[in-house]
Parts: sequence; structure tokens; C-alpha cells
Amino acid sequence: MKKIKPWKMMLLATMAVSLFTACSSQDKTATTTSEPVTTKEETKTNTPPDPLGKYADLVTVTEVLGYNPPEDPRTPQGIKPEENAYFKDLKEMLNIEVKYKWTVPSSQFEQKFSLAMASADLPDILELDPKNFEKLKNQDMLADLTDAYKQYASPALKKYMESDGGFAMKTFESDGKQLAIPAFEDPFLSSQQLWIRKDWLDNLNLQAPKTIDELEKVAEAFVKNDPDKNGKNDTYGIAAQKNLFFWGFDLRGFFNGFGAYPSIGDNQSAWIKDSEGKLIPGLIQPEVKAALGKLQSWYQNGILDKEFALKDENKSVEDITAGKVGISYGEWWYPNWPLNLNMDKDPKANWIAVQIPGLEGPGNTLVPKIRSSKLFAVNKKMKNPEAAIKMINFYIEMGNKKYMDQNKAEKGYVYNWFNPRIYNPAQIDTIYTEVNKALDANQTEITLDDENYKNVADVFKATKDFLSGDTSTASRGVNWGQYFSRAAKDGGWGMTRQLKESKAYVNNEFYGIPVASQVEKGTQLDKLMQESFTKIIMGAPLDEFDKFVASWKSLGGDQITQEVNEWYTKQATK
Amino acid sequence: MRHKQSISRKLFIVFNTLLLALITVLSVIPFIHLLSISLSSNTAASAGEVRLWPVGFSFDSYVYLGEKVEFFRSLWVSVKRVVLGTIVNLFLVFITAYPLSKSNDRFKFRTPYVWFFAITMFFGGGLIPTYILVKNTGLIDSIWALILPGALNVWNMVLMLNFFRSIPKELDEAATIDGAGHWIILWKIYLPVSLPSIATIGLFTIVGHWNAWFDGILYLNSPDKYPLQTYLSTLIMSMNAQMSSISIEQIKAMENLSEKTLKTAQIFMGALPIMIVYPFLQKYFVKGIIVGSVKE
Amino acid sequence: MRTLKKEYLLHLMLIPGVIVTLIYAYGPMAGLVMAFQQFEPLSGFFKSKFVGFDNFRYVFQLPDFGQVLWNTVIISIFKMVLFLVVPLILALLLNEVTKQWFSRIVQSAIFLPFFLSWTVLGGIIIELFSLNGAVNGLISSIGFKPIMFMLDNQWFRGIIIGSDVWKGMGYNMIVMLAVIIGINSTLYEAAEIDGAGRWKQMIHITLPSMAPILILLAVLSLGSILNAGFEQILIMYNPTVYEGADVIDTFVYRLGMFSQQFGPAAAVGLFKSVISLILVSSTYYAAYKYNGYRIF
Repeated sequence: MKKIKPWKMMLLATMAVSLFTACSSQDKTATTTSEPVTTKEETKTNTPPDPLGKYADLVTVTEVLGYNPPEDPRTPQGIKPEENAYFKDLKEMLNIEVKYKWTVPSSQFEQKFSLAMASADLPDILELDPKNFEKLKNQDMLADLTDAYKQYASPALKKYMESDGGFAMKTFESDGKQLAIPAFEDPFLSSQQLWIRKDWLDNLNLQAPKTIDELEKVAEAFVKNDPDKNGKNDTYGIAAQKNLFFWGFDLRGFFNGFGAYPSIGDNQSAWIKDSEGKLIPGLIQPEVKAALGKLQSWYQNGILDKEFALKDENKSVEDITAGKVGISYGEWWYPNWPLNLNMDKDPKANWIAVQIPGLEGPGNTLVPKIRSSKLFAVNKKMKNPEAAIKMINFYIEMGNKKYMDQNKAEKGYVYNWFNPRIYNPAQIDTIYTEVNKALDANQTEITLDDENYKNVADVFKATKDFLSGDTSTASRGVNWGQYFSRAAKDGGWGMTRQLKESKAYVNNEFYGIPVASQVEKGTQLDKLMQESFTKIIMGAPLDEFDKFVASWKSLGGDQITQEVNEWYTKQATK
Repeated sequence: MRHKQSISRKLFIVFNTLLLALITVLSVIPFIHLLSISLSSNTAASAGEVRLWPVGFSFDSYVYLGEKVEFFRSLWVSVKRVVLGTIVNLFLVFITAYPLSKSNDRFKFRTPYVWFFAITMFFGGGLIPTYILVKNTGLIDSIWALILPGALNVWNMVLMLNFFRSIPKELDEAATIDGAGHWIILWKIYLPVSLPSIATIGLFTIVGHWNAWFDGILYLNSPDKYPLQTYLSTLIMSMNAQMSSISIEQIKAMENLSEKTLKTAQIFMGALPIMIVYPFLQKYFVKGIIVGSVKE
Repeated sequence: MRTLKKEYLLHLMLIPGVIVTLIYAYGPMAGLVMAFQQFEPLSGFFKSKFVGFDNFRYVFQLPDFGQVLWNTVIISIFKMVLFLVVPLILALLLNEVTKQWFSRIVQSAIFLPFFLSWTVLGGIIIELFSLNGAVNGLISSIGFKPIMFMLDNQWFRGIIIGSDVWKGMGYNMIVMLAVIIGINSTLYEAAEIDGAGRWKQMIHITLPSMAPILILLAVLSLGSILNAGFEQILIMYNPTVYEGADVIDTFVYRLGMFSQQFGPAAAVGLFKSVISLILVSSTYYAAYKYNGYRIF
């Protein structure tokens, strides 16, 4: 007679649980028995380290990858990340082989990476955001790259890292140990400008606005006077969307025009220095109230879309493309996307960039201290941490002119799948200078011969094509996008350079990872801000703002202010 | 046998037909919308101008789609997954529901077993523990990772056992007297009379496997193994809302995303195969031979 | 001894299901400890710090939690009721259709929206109900003022509920149809001889025969009272309707987005599980006690 009693079921259940625990502890023992860090190569030879020296024995490096589809349409169909032609060259040049533990589309990378952390299954070379960096650092899981960097970093890499006075590098240093190599960009890439349709201004005989009042007049005319001359009342004034502070098609630039610096784009407060040298939250300053008041009246008279609170960035992009709106605040790259779509759709369309209008003359834009969302670190268990540095050298090297015959998308080179890749922080500026140099000298080809060659040459070709009306490689809009974002003197980057030179900016002084109270309260404060601001714009009394400030402070804002200031006095590199 | 139809009956039939036709149209509209976008020019599509009829008619996206290796590769994975998964799921549902459909006096431990399964409908450990378990049982990166963890769908099993209960007891009593064991009763008697319910649960299983996409991201290590819906989900990529700035590379990626027509063509074609499954299964929805009520 | 031998076979049939469930459903439940930890993926379950009920306290004390809980319950109650009533009406109406081909087309069409993800459908619905959308076009053509549906808390809830029911109604409808098909046709013949019309047949035969499945669906849907539809709301909502449409899952999602707080998310999950277990098991016993139905 057989009976399965409930207790037997319990036993089975516990067995299942122990299966689960046994395996995890196995993982743990694997971690502890890893070999100490040694650099085999160096003990054997006494020659000075070569940034691109070939290993005698094959070095296998594990990685994980979050990736976007290849950018170039000429890339072979169906190519897989592990088939990237860069790897073939890497093996030939350095005798390094890359093995992916996994690859995932970049939108899911964060999810997949936290699973990898939880199951203690991390690769040798790590692509991290600042938050994960902090976690791994605290668990002492990152290799010290100080020596590897000193000995192996190529001159180009060193030049990049020193281009900001070593500020970014220092941010990822801990107790004198360099724990990561940041992939940072020029912070001025974040500065705001106003994009406006020149053909509409001309249609209505208007000048590009310099002040908020002038902007209001232009925007009103764009709403009422049929700027596209199609005989239909189908346009509105200024692009806006439900995220007031975002990475695009938002209103950061508008607020900046009022001398208000509410947020850098993450919906958390920005932090500006007051007269006493303390940091104050930009989000709750009186200037924000004034700006909201203006938005409220603009919502009333139709300059803002009645349903802006419903739209996301994709909807704004649709409106811009469709020619429903002709003014948008944003960064230098708009011509690249989505303005090029509008140019292709409507051959008459023509966009220009102007400095953000302020209360009296052009305003100052908010600029972060550091613009880096990605950094590369090495797992402490890895035997050859310098291999990571060499791979960065390799990637930079591949931009040189001599590889250009080989390094082509149609041959299976997919640059944005290669990690660790660090690019020139001043990439855009280099492109701007070099392309303009070549244009002024009336060259037919780029003469520059360093690692920036590929990037410069690509933009130069697009510029040439646009100016001569050649659409055999790409559409007019795409060529214009390359040209007007990067090379044109009055274009996206040209305008940004002017801002930088004329010091028309204010810094966001906080650049650390979120402080404890931000982690705990940030989501609530974010919701509070979004609800209050949207309601005010849509017609709630302006004094709601004062209530918002009071709630913001009491729900954790005051505590955050205090902690941010503690961070500022202790840790900030001033 | 039918009585002559009264006027009110006729009125009802007209009204009923119109109502159902309206619902049918409402349900088909999104598909027409998607089809129209996929057949429009890219500029019209990215300007959001397409409604229920193509604007700037173009067949380009389907020409490109024909060359999309990724699309066909993942379509094949999906077919494999659906076939394997449905066989495993139906088998498990069938043999698990049978014992549990017996009354308590014929199967003493029914109730503890039932609760053992039912609990899992409410409690789950969440993403991380499940992932670790799938990993430790060696399924990562294999198609079985998409099949085994959900091999017994308790909800379907409960449905099945309720269907089984509606099979009259006289049927298996007669068989028992003839000396048939449970195994024979299950396959020779229950199986043939439960075709409509198997078709129903089979449909749910097929659709479930077809629509599932997130487990592919979690458990598979390279996108060339992705089933179709996982692949499609990567096309409808959304940018991280918390991101305050977008890097030079991401801008270039956004530029690529504007291939709206191709994306839509893939979404549309991805839904087609599953759309024909239901009409196919409908032939099993015939008036059954089941007699008797369901009350215990 | 004879019955025991037979029961032995019943146990045997359950073994595969029990094993799969133990490993992949009960195994991960070890992860429920996260609810009581300050969980940190790198430390795992064994080294993360235990914090007692701190996670629960943290979530319940968040200023909006009451509002969010209320939104969740109200939205999901509407959905629960409509997910029973609408498919039931549809199934009954379809049962009255005499032309097979029409019935089949309608059935297939109603099931269609189920195949599209909210990412695709959400955008279509937002467009449909926006100021320039088709619905407002209709409203202004008959002389009313356009309505900002998606920016009004009451309307928005209605749209969330309505569109979810529209998308998912095919599912329950098919279960119900399968039951209707299983009803003994001799019952109807007898009723017709007694002179009962279609209406009376529906009241006295069809509906009573469907009672068990209706109760089953009702009880099980109670288990999801704290799930108001995460993906759908996340895609369709906006700051102006947070007040009426921010639900537990979207709320927890935003917590996790900004700060990756695993502990509070697990605590909310456990809270939801316990509530649904309590609701389902009490209704299960109530149905058994007063009606003699065993749902599972």
C-alpha cells in the first residue's frame, strides 16, 4: 500500500529548494578559487609594454553585449555580433579572442545585466552605468587598472582622457585606484538651442526671435497665420510633450530662457550654485514659477498643443515630420534626426538654430559637469586586465586612414558592436574643425591622417553630397542632417561652439550617483512634479506652484538638498 | 422541427447580425491600420498620416521583408516552439487534470494535490529566482527554457478538469466494469469526447507560446535564437524614459528607427500565421456528445 | 484493495506535473525572502541584509499608496465584471446565429485584437481618442463639443477598462462557447416539445448549464483583483491621469526604474499574492459550502 503523505510533499519541496541553494553555493566557491591577478606576459619579457603588442599565447576575453541594429544599411543581412569583422582583426593584431556570454538588444540590456549580477555570472570586461559601477565597486569586484592604463594606454587614448583635465577619469577613481575608463562626451553636447523653421519665418516676414516676447509673437503667428501657406489651419506653435524635462522635444531650453534651471532631463532637480557657494535645487526656484505662468498662457492661446500632456517623443517627431510644428527646443543633433525626415518630406522646409530666447536677449543654457552614461571596467577575476586597455587602443587605431579600405560596413565591420569602445570626447568638435578646414581649402578629400579619419571623412562626404545635391549615397535630408548638425558654422554644433565661447551657460553642479534620500524619495517627487506642473500649464492656479514647493521640501526635498550639499563639500572635484 | 419564426425573432436576428458585424469590424480595424501603414511610403508613415488606407502606396517594405534573415529565422524558432510546447503542455494538462477530476471519495488525496497546484497561481518568486533556477537546471540558451518552466499551465489544467467533470460518470463506470484501467479510460474514452475542450485549451496554449516574448530575452543568450515575438519586441524598442541625454551613437540608432513601414510590415506578418490557427481549430468545435450536468 | 491499486495509478499520472511544478514554481518561491531583505543582486539571497517588515512599511507609507490601491481595485473590479458579462452575452448571441460561416467569421475576428501587444495597440487607441481622432470626429459631426478623453481621469479609466475588455473578450468567450457546445441537445429538444421559446430555453437550459464555468471564471478572476493591467496602463497613461489611473504595478515599476529597489517590489508582490489567495480560497469554500461546486 502506498500513500503519499503531505509531509512527503514537503520533503520534495525542500529538496527542490536545496537544488536551488546547492547550485548557487557552487557558484560562490568558483568565485573564491579564482587565481590571483598576474600579468603573465610581463614576467616573461622585459621589453617596454606595447599598446598594440601581440600576445604570444591566445588570450580569451569574455564579454556581454547590448546592441542596436547595425547602422549602415550596407551591412550584410543577418550578421550576428560574434561575426563582427573587428574580431578577426583583433585576433590577428593582438591575439585576443572575444567570447560573448550573451548578447541582447540594448533596450533590454539593463534587465539582463542585473540577472547576470544576481546569478554571479559576470564577464571579464564590463560595460557599466554609474549606478552599477558603484555597486560593483562597493563589493570589491573591479580590477585596479592604474598600472595597466599607465603602461598600455595608447597616446590617443591618453590624449582623450586628459582632454578634460582628467576630470572624468578622477570620478571613477577610488583610493588611488583607477577602476574604470569612462566613455565620456563633451558636456556641451547637452546645451539647448532653439530650432525653428526658416521657410516659415520668411513666409510671414518674421525675424528669428531673440527674446521670449519675440518668440511669443513668432509662435502666435505660426499658429494663426498659416505659416506653411497651405490654406489650412493645421499648425501649432512650439513642440512639447508629456515629459517636460527629457532628452528631446521637451521644455528645458524654455525654462533656461527664464533663468530657471529645473532639471537636466531626468525629472530630478538640477543643482546650481548660489551666491554663498552652496547648491540649491533649481526645480523650486521662483523663476520656474514665472516660466510656468508663461506656459499656462501659451496653452490657453494654442501655442502649445492642447494635448501635449498625452504625447510622447515619438508623437512630437511625427508632428515635426508632418510639418505641424515649426519650433522646438533641443540639442545640436536635431538635423540628424528628426529634422531630416521633415526636409525629405517637404523640399521647401529649412531649419535653423538660434540661441535660446531669454527675458532680455538670448538666455543661458544649463550644461552638465560631465556627460558620461557609460564606462568600462574589468572583472577582478580576469587574468589580463591590460587586454581591455589594448582593446580600447585597437578600436581607436581602427579609425585610421590605412584601415579604411578594409573597415567597411559591407565587409561586416560593425563598429557599434565592438566593446570596449572609447571615442574621442571631442569627436564632434574635431569633425567640425577638420571638415571646415577642408571646405575652406576647397579640398576634394580629407587629408587628416589619424584615428579620427573615418568619422571626419564620413561627414565630409555627406557635406559635399549635400552641397552638390548628390543623393546617390543618401537622401538630401540625411546628407543635410550630417552637415547641419556637425559641420555647418550656423548649424547645431557651430551654434554650440558659440555658446561655449560666449559663456552663455550655467553648470549643473551635481554629477554623483543619486544620494540615499533621492533613491528613496525620488520617484515620489518626480510624480509630484509632473502632476503639479502639467496641471498648472493646463490651467490650474499658478499659486499651486507654492504648494508644490512646500510639498516637495517636506516629502524629502529638504533632506536631498542637505545630502547633495554634503556630497558637494566632501566629494565633488571642484 | 423548427417553429415558424415570429416577427420578434426575425427582428432579433437582424439586430443580432448587425451588432456582431459591427464588433467584427471594430476588431479588424487595427489590422487594417497596420496593413495600410506597411503599404505606405515611409515619409507618410513617419509623419503619422496613414489611417485606414495607404498613403503614397508602396510595396517596398514587403520586398525588404523578403530579405530579412532575422524575420524568417525567428519565425522558424516560433514554429518549433509552438509545436514542441503545445505537445508538452497538452500532454501534461491532460494527464494531470484526469486524476484531479475524480471525486474526493474516488481519489483520496485529490484536495491536497489540487491546492499544491493552485497555490502556484498566486505565488511566484519573481524574475531573479526563476532565472537562477532555469540557469541551474541547465536550460539557459536552449529552447526548453521557453517550454519547461511553464510546462504545466495550472489555469488550463483547472479548465480541463472542469471539462472532464462534465463527462458523465456512467461512461467510465461502464468502462470500469468492463475491466478497463484509468489509462485506458483516459485515452480511449476521455480523449475522443473532449476534442472541443482540447481544441480550446490547445488554442490557448498555441497563442500563449506564440505571444510570449519576454522569456526569450531572459533565457536565450543570442538573438539568433529568438522566437518571432521576442524579435519583434526588439523592433518596437523604446528609449529609457529616465535617460537625461542621448549619446551620439543613440542618435544614430534613432535615425534607423524611422523605418516605420518595415517595422509595421513585420508586425503584421508576424500576426498572420496565428490568425489562421483559430479558424482551423474551429472544426473541432462541434456539438459534442456529452450528456449530463456538471454538478457534483 | 482494488480501489487502492487504481489510486496508485492516479498518483503516477500526477508525477510529471508535480515535478515540473516543484522545480519551476515552488523553487523560485525561495525568492520571496527578498520581500524581507534589502536585496542586492550582487550579494544574492544569502548575503543580503534582512530588514524584517521594513519594505512593507516603506511602500505602505508612501504618500500616494492609498490612492494607488483604490485605483487598482476600482479598475480591476470593473474589468472583472465586464470580462464575465461581455463574453457571456457574446457567446449567447453567437449561439443564436444560425449561419455557420457568419458565426465563424465573427468568432475569429473577436479573437484578433488578442494577438497584438499593447505597445502596438496603445498608440492606436490614443490616436483614436485624441482631439483629432476618429471618435471626436464622430462627436463633432453630430454637433457636440470634442472631448479630451485621454486627459480626463474619469474618461481615461473608462477607456482603459473598455479597451482591455475589447482586446481580451475573445478568450473567455471561447471557453463559454465550448461549454455551450457541450450542452446536451436532447434538453433543447425536450424544451421545444414543451413549447419553450428561444428566450426561455436560454434562461432555463443554457444559463444553468453554464453556471459552473461562470463561477469558476468569477472566482479565479478574483485572484487578479490587484492586477489592473500593467503594460496597458504604462503605455497609455500620462501625468494628468496619474490621479485616477496610477495602479500598484505602474507605481512599483516607477520605483524600480529610478532606483532598482528589489525589496519593495518583492514586498508588493507578496502582498498581492496573499490577498488573492485569501479571496480565492474563501470564495472557493463558499461556493462549495452553499452550492456544492468544487471549482478545482
